[in-house]
Amino acid sequence: MSDVRALLAIAWKDLRSEARSRAATVATVFFSSVTLVVLAFALGRDADVMTRAAPGVLWVALAFSGVISAAQAYQSDLIEGAFEQLLTLPVPRAAVFLGKLLTNWLTMTILGWVLLPVTAILFDAPIGSGIPILLLTIALGTLGFSIIATFYAALTANLQARESLLPVLMFPVVVPVLLAAVRATDAIVTGGDPSLAGDWVQLLAGFDLVYLVVTSAIFHIVVEE
Amino acid sequence: MSLAPSRRPAWLNVLAGAAFLSVAIGAYLGLRVSPPDVNQGDLIRVMYAHVSVAWVSFLAVGVAALAGIAFLWRGRPRMDVISVAGAETALLYGALTIIGGMTYSKPTLNTFWTWDAKLTLTALMVALLAGVFIVRGLIDEPQRRGRVSAVILIVVLASLPLNYLAAEWFRTLHPAKAIDLTGGGVTIDGTMLTILLYNVVAAGLMFVWLLVERVRIGMREVEIDARRVQADGGSGEVVRV
Repeated sequence: MSDVRALLAIAWKDLRSEARSRAATVATVFFSSVTLVVLAFALGRDADVMTRAAPGVLWVALAFSGVISAAQAYQSDLIEGAFEQLLTLPVPRAAVFLGKLLTNWLTMTILGWVLLPVTAILFDAPIGSGIPILLLTIALGTLGFSIIATFYAALTANLQARESLLPVLMFPVVVPVLLAAVRATDAIVTGGDPSLAGDWVQLLAGFDLVYLVVTSAIFHIVVEE
Repeated sequence: MSLAPSRRPAWLNVLAGAAFLSVAIGAYLGLRVSPPDVNQGDLIRVMYAHVSVAWVSFLAVGVAALAGIAFLWRGRPRMDVISVAGAETALLYGALTIIGGMTYSKPTLNTFWTWDAKLTLTALMVALLAGVFIVRGLIDEPQRRGRVSAVILIVVLASLPLNYLAAEWFRTLHPAKAIDLTGGGVTIDGTMLTILLYNVVAAGLMFVWLLVERVRIGMREVEIDARRVQADGGSGEVVRV
């Protein structure tokens, strides 16, 4: 039980620290908004193209923001050597990882939920009937993302060129998650049938489970000195 | 300080000869003995090289990841060396798989690159392996370098079943798998299957030879590094080989 409490305490610490500095919030909110606008310009003025591109645009914006958010997760801890202190806690290292993951996932999910109506309006995408499934898709998709991002961010935290290294390492791994998430979103937006999204959502949950188990099991090796 | 001369064992040359010979025989079987395919004609001959190389690339990733796990378990430098050797050969065979796939898909599907699930995810596997080598280049301490690369290889290995499942579910342009691993039976002509399996064994033998040669080089590198640490009057960390 104390492992779970440690996990929650770490997540709570990160959330409070983020609430005060707002470093990741500002970076990810502005970055994802800029991504949406840039992609809107890049795709031109054809309303039909914009609507069909909307699911992909949403997930591209979320994916890029996810990298920033994960890199930020360790940044404040590394400055004063606080991360080493965290590792001395008498709990499994996986609890530290899951605590970091929880904060990252929460912020990414909320960002995704905010971006959803914004994207729907900017790209004129009909989402009406499928909102509950879309919210679930975003929660599961950002979970898969956050798992890999938080894991690799810990791995690259001490390396040179980590800013460019993190996306290079994590994007090939999250492709199945991204594919399933985009297809699920697409099934609702352009297919207009929420039930079509069901298979993709299940697939997404399966990917999340595999990645969660594997990364939690080997995280302690990553932070071992 | 010079390294003890290492004698090249005779069996290694035998292995090299056998690898080259069996690949040559495999090519002969594929190009001359195999009957042309009912639908694809002579193009089927590309399949022998493509499929065997693809299978061995996955085998190589498995070897790299398992050696990585063994390194995490006991910390022996030899396991890290085997892991790197496996990852390098996986990179080579993965690149060959992509080249073979593109050669095969231009005449059959009329495009070099399809965003087919298997082709895409093989490309991703190559990207993941490239990531291993980028990270290895950034870490100086051998134990930590080995651990981190083993961890990345475990993640690569975990993503491979998703590769296979993705090919099932995405249902894109890749030709239906002729050999169904889930037990649906074989839909390939007997002679062709024999030649394909022979080619798989030949590609595997070539892989084993490359692996052994690379491990020999890797062990020399470990030895040189250990000597260098001693010569620097460093911590003199004992490297068990």
